[in-house]
Amino acid sequence: MAKVLLKYKEAAVKEIALDKESTTIGRKPDNDIVIDNQAVSGHHASITMEGDRLVLEDLGSLNGTFVNGQKISKTELFNGDVILIGVHTLNVTSEKNRSQETKGFAVRGRSMDETMVIAPDDQKKIIAAADKNLPEPLGGFVVLEGSTQQKEYELKERVSAIGKEDGSAIKLKGLFAPKLAAMVNRRKEGYFITPAGGKELKVNGKIIDRRCDLKDGDLVEVAGLKLQFYLKE
Amino acid sequence: MNLTACGKTDQGLVRANNEDNFYLDEKMGLLVVADGMGGHASGEKASGLAVSLIRDYFQGPQKIIGSPDPSFSEATNRLGCAIRLANQAVYEVAQSSPQFKGMGTTIVAVLLTGRKLSIAHIGDSRAYLIRAGSIDQLTDDHSMVQEQVKRNLITQEEADRSEMKNILTKALGIQPEIEADLDELTVMDGDILLLCTDGFSNMVTDDDALDMISSAQNGSAACESMIDAANRNGGKDNITVVIGYVWKEKWYSALMKFMEFFRR
Repeated sequence: MAKVLLKYKEAAVKEIALDKESTTIGRKPDNDIVIDNQAVSGHHASITMEGDRLVLEDLGSLNGTFVNGQKISKTELFNGDVILIGVHTLNVTSEKNRSQETKGFAVRGRSMDETMVIAPDDQKKIIAAADKNLPEPLGGFVVLEGSTQQKEYELKERVSAIGKEDGSAIKLKGLFAPKLAAMVNRRKEGYFITPAGGKELKVNGKIIDRRCDLKDGDLVEVAGLKLQFYLKE
Repeated sequence: MNLTACGKTDQGLVRANNEDNFYLDEKMGLLVVADGMGGHASGEKASGLAVSLIRDYFQGPQKIIGSPDPSFSEATNRLGCAIRLANQAVYEVAQSSPQFKGMGTTIVAVLLTGRKLSIAHIGDSRAYLIRAGSIDQLTDDHSMVQEQVKRNLITQEEADRSEMKNILTKALGIQPEIEADLDELTVMDGDILLLCTDGFSNMVTDDDALDMISSAQNGSAACESMIDAANRNGGKDNITVVIGYVWKEKWYSALMKFMEFFRR
């Protein structure tokens, strides 16, 4: 009797006997072989017996079904064939060997690390399932000491500069002001500040020489400015 | 602000074909990188189509179709619109023939307008900013692992090592409508932009990329050494890097050109 061995990254998951007229493969639980992976379509493929022939058919899956590295829509399976579905492989064992002429075709490279995409409706489900979508933090600086154009700066951009250079978010004035004194990055996890141009940067009175995460209320001293960081809710 | 750009793409060492595409327009201030996917040659088709549609949009009247997002500038909305239209067209081609079914592409594009840089992306191709000796990623990958990081289910280190890195949550051309993630940034004289596909970012660390860009004589040498590095580390996927140098015309540059003329 023909059977397939389901493998994930070289590790055997389970062996399935092909004793039915038709064996379906897919992500949904009503399949005979359920592969719970987002790269696999709900009803991905099926293996049917047609007389003594074992036929694999792709059921219009998003990421495709591959036999020995080639994308197929419908093909006969032989002993030793390797089916690739998503990131799982199925090794076929049957009585029928591939005849010599057709053997060894297609080593051409569909590998496991090829890019795939999740079907849009599945994607909504994943996002809905784990939705504690964090609001992006929004914060900025209040100027406590030093001469700047504004008293308060809200930093919306991903990277903002403090310096005299044009384009700085917090623009310094004066002949001796540095072109670039520090950079502030905004990330989903929060804000952080990095010194630039060899200027001394203090956060809460301590000199820092590498990136430093900013918390609500932190005091930043740089290039003659004294700034207080704030985070909005 | 002016933009000088340079780009290079390489098949890598493992893949049988190159599904990456890129486009540069220094005058327009536009850089685009795309990484196609799909069986047979359809990945190439998807990325090539997306890139040329965005190019055509900016060479045309650049009309904004649909309602613009008021929180972004007009230029950023134009970039978002170009991607939206490219998505529609790629999707239609994908539906038109079984050979192209399921094809799609990532996209990352930046547009420099004066001091403002508009950034748009879908998928896991990235944009980086290199400023004052540090490198910062400007885009968040639309990949399953990155979604998990965002929700604190796994750490960034686990994500970098994950085998599932190749699974995207968003791609251009696989659904009838899609919105790119948009962002804006104020640029400064001396900023360097790097756009790349995952064939580069998965093979080379950000810090190594920074070293290579800052030590290179010029853009093409930097691209060259970055592609070599990605291939040295395995070259598992197609590699594309695009570097854009942002610079300001100096008041004395006309004078310099004048002097240069006489020196010859």
